[in-house]
Amino acid sequence: MQSLTFSNMSKAFEGVTALADVNLKLSSGRVHALMGENGAGKSTLIKLIAGVLKPDSMSVSKNGIPLKIKNAKDAHEAGFHFIHQELNIVPQVSVAENILIGENLPRKFGFFVDWGKVRTEAEKALDFLGATHMDVRAYAGELPAGDKMMMKIAAALVSADRNEPTLYVLDEPTAALTGDESEMLFTVIERLKGRGAAILYVSHRMDEILRICDDVTVLRDGKFVSTNEIKETSKDKIIQEMTGRDFKNAYPQRNNSIGKEKILSLKSVNTDNLCNLTFDLQAGEILGISGLAEAGQSHLLKLFMGIGNIRTGTAYLSGDPLPHTPSDAWTRGVAYVPRERRGEALCLDMSVRANIVLSSLVNYGFYAKPWREIKDAFRLGKKVKLKSKGLIQAARQLSGGNQQKIVFARAIQGRPKLLLLDEPTRGVDIGAKYDIYLLLRELSRQGCAVILTSTDLPEVLGICDRVLVMQEGCQAHLIPTGEMTSAELLAYCYPHQEVTQ
Amino acid sequence: MLRFRQFGTLLGFFLILLFFTVKLPDTFLTYRNLINISQQLSMLAVVAATMTIVMVMNDFDLSVGSMASLSGIVAATLFTLGYPVWVALLAALLVGILGGLFNGFLVSVVGILPFVATLGTLTVFSGIAFLISDGKTIFGRDIPESFSGFARSGLIIGDVKVPMLSITAAIVIFICWSILEHTNFGRRLYAIGGNKEASYLAGIKVVRLRLIAFSLTGLGAAGAGLMYAARVASANPTQGSGLMLDAIAAVFLGMTMSRQGEPKVIYTLVGVLILGVLDNGMTQLRVDSYVREILVGIIVIAAVAIASLSKRSQ
Repeated sequence: MQSLTFSNMSKAFEGVTALADVNLKLSSGRVHALMGENGAGKSTLIKLIAGVLKPDSMSVSKNGIPLKIKNAKDAHEAGFHFIHQELNIVPQVSVAENILIGENLPRKFGFFVDWGKVRTEAEKALDFLGATHMDVRAYAGELPAGDKMMMKIAAALVSADRNEPTLYVLDEPTAALTGDESEMLFTVIERLKGRGAAILYVSHRMDEILRICDDVTVLRDGKFVSTNEIKETSKDKIIQEMTGRDFKNAYPQRNNSIGKEKILSLKSVNTDNLCNLTFDLQAGEILGISGLAEAGQSHLLKLFMGIGNIRTGTAYLSGDPLPHTPSDAWTRGVAYVPRERRGEALCLDMSVRANIVLSSLVNYGFYAKPWREIKDAFRLGKKVKLKSKGLIQAARQLSGGNQQKIVFARAIQGRPKLLLLDEPTRGVDIGAKYDIYLLLRELSRQGCAVILTSTDLPEVLGICDRVLVMQEGCQAHLIPTGEMTSAELLAYCYPHQEVTQ
Repeated sequence: MLRFRQFGTLLGFFLILLFFTVKLPDTFLTYRNLINISQQLSMLAVVAATMTIVMVMNDFDLSVGSMASLSGIVAATLFTLGYPVWVALLAALLVGILGGLFNGFLVSVVGILPFVATLGTLTVFSGIAFLISDGKTIFGRDIPESFSGFARSGLIIGDVKVPMLSITAAIVIFICWSILEHTNFGRRLYAIGGNKEASYLAGIKVVRLRLIAFSLTGLGAAGAGLMYAARVASANPTQGSGLMLDAIAAVFLGMTMSRQGEPKVIYTLVGVLILGVLDNGMTQLRVDSYVREILVGIIVIAAVAIASLSKRSQ
């Protein structure tokens, strides 16, 4: 059996330790889970392995023979393959080219690209994954999120066929996938194992980890905590190791805080990409939006931000027509946490403080008020339990969970009456998730209505009062969460299917 | 490394100063020459400072040079038609605002890349300037004394006469600095530069702010055009064309000095000074002006290259 050892991995950013002396031993044919809260050092560790970040110290050996990993090319040549949570695809070229990216394209006469062969190879890889519905000629940028992930997995497969695969690193691969697509991914992982690759698997979804992984390493605050075989540990033990404390209830107690005031009222609303929306939302209520990937959840939230045209039907926000621009929406007390943190929510190179007060600058008057910004950012940062090295740190340097807390701090600054959350806990660790849930409960107690989309079904059931299920852009069901189970909710998500009782 | 990146350009500036001080011991570091430099670069300073306003949003305005020419021609033409000086100046500045608004409209409402949109308006403005002036230089008796006299006059402070052009440039720089650093308008422009989509979704009126920013840049270019016309007491349809590249070069030089590589008015001013001092010193050393152009290009590339290399090594 082959083994791959990473030892003494350390990295500090401007004097702050991100990873301290961590060792990791991977074996071929085994799936090794890497777990830890956000900021525990998982991303840093992966970047060191990928040769993207320069380590302060690290030694790598394969079967006892030292390997030099100095840059991304070394990692590639060593047979390391990466599938990241923030997908790096080339949107303006075809799926086929994206799949063969990083490889030499097949040639005709040694010069011209053999496009026919490019497509067949890409199709072969997709067929292997069972993703036969995908057109390899389509532009990668136009694919739904799940298909993009499939495309990246296919790319890793192709590269594995051509080079000897040593290691696959999957960083939150299921975050954007539906249940079925995840199943497909798990079959692929089984096959990769069979080919003798070692797999490093990062996910916040405990059930997945317990199901498909063989070993688990837990990190906390950049330090190594433990490595165990999965069968010798348990969910509770892993959580306890990750957080350093016990977690009994994943969701905070519900409070009866649904008010009388009607915040939203929609009647048979149709827009360019949504249809048949009819529901009311009371102050203090938390409404979940569920559905398969890209069933219109994001469009629905954006409608209340003033993006999208109502074709027919009536929609009111506190008795007035819906806002017509995001700026209008914010002034009328609608706050928004977009789905893509990096693309839609944060100015990554700007300070924590500038990012927090972004939406409230309008209310600060003509002259900039640095002291008031500092005071507000400090107060809000504390409220959302933000961990940063101070308010002037650039948002880029924070972990995913803390970046999300910045966006939350921004959203609650104006005391919103309607809070729109698009996948608010995606890529967020258990501890930070719980902080977010507590915050939602508090806002709801204060009379803020919340609409939340999530592909994490237990979360929808644990947090929301009602759930609106969408299918292909249309409202399909509106159900009180009550005693519903995840399996029942999932069944509702599929179109044209009888719900088994 | 961050330190070096931020101070490298400043260090380079002092080395240039030192070089000329040693090479030109009698003439370079004198009151007279420094005042002279400040007057020479006042137009560039105005264009570069207002260019910073759009570059903060990651936008560009390539049309500033031809806008400067156009505003000079507009004012001079109105002089020849016998309009009072203040009417002509106001009209020229208005042309600047309108031209800038048009740039902003193309960029933010229509959604054309700033590079393409302002490249188009560059030729449009230049063409209009040629059309109005019939390709000729307007000079001599047509230019009123009260207009060209402004460029020759100055404020006596102590025993030094500070030229009005330098004072005007200082005021413009101060205003741009105040706008970008001390108003929430400026803070929002920086946010737009940080992430347009995020700013829009966070409720910032991106379209409107970009319109305003572009019209301020147009106004600055028109102002610089008037300063130039006053200084040479004439207007010709190509006299502003050198300003655009130098202004963008100055902002880029400045960007190598800031924390996250964002443009700042104060640093732009340092960039302007570097270009101005080089110009002045090399003219005195009788270096061929073509050689100067080669050097300016190399300096900008070197400064930006060092900045991006040191950023990468972090």
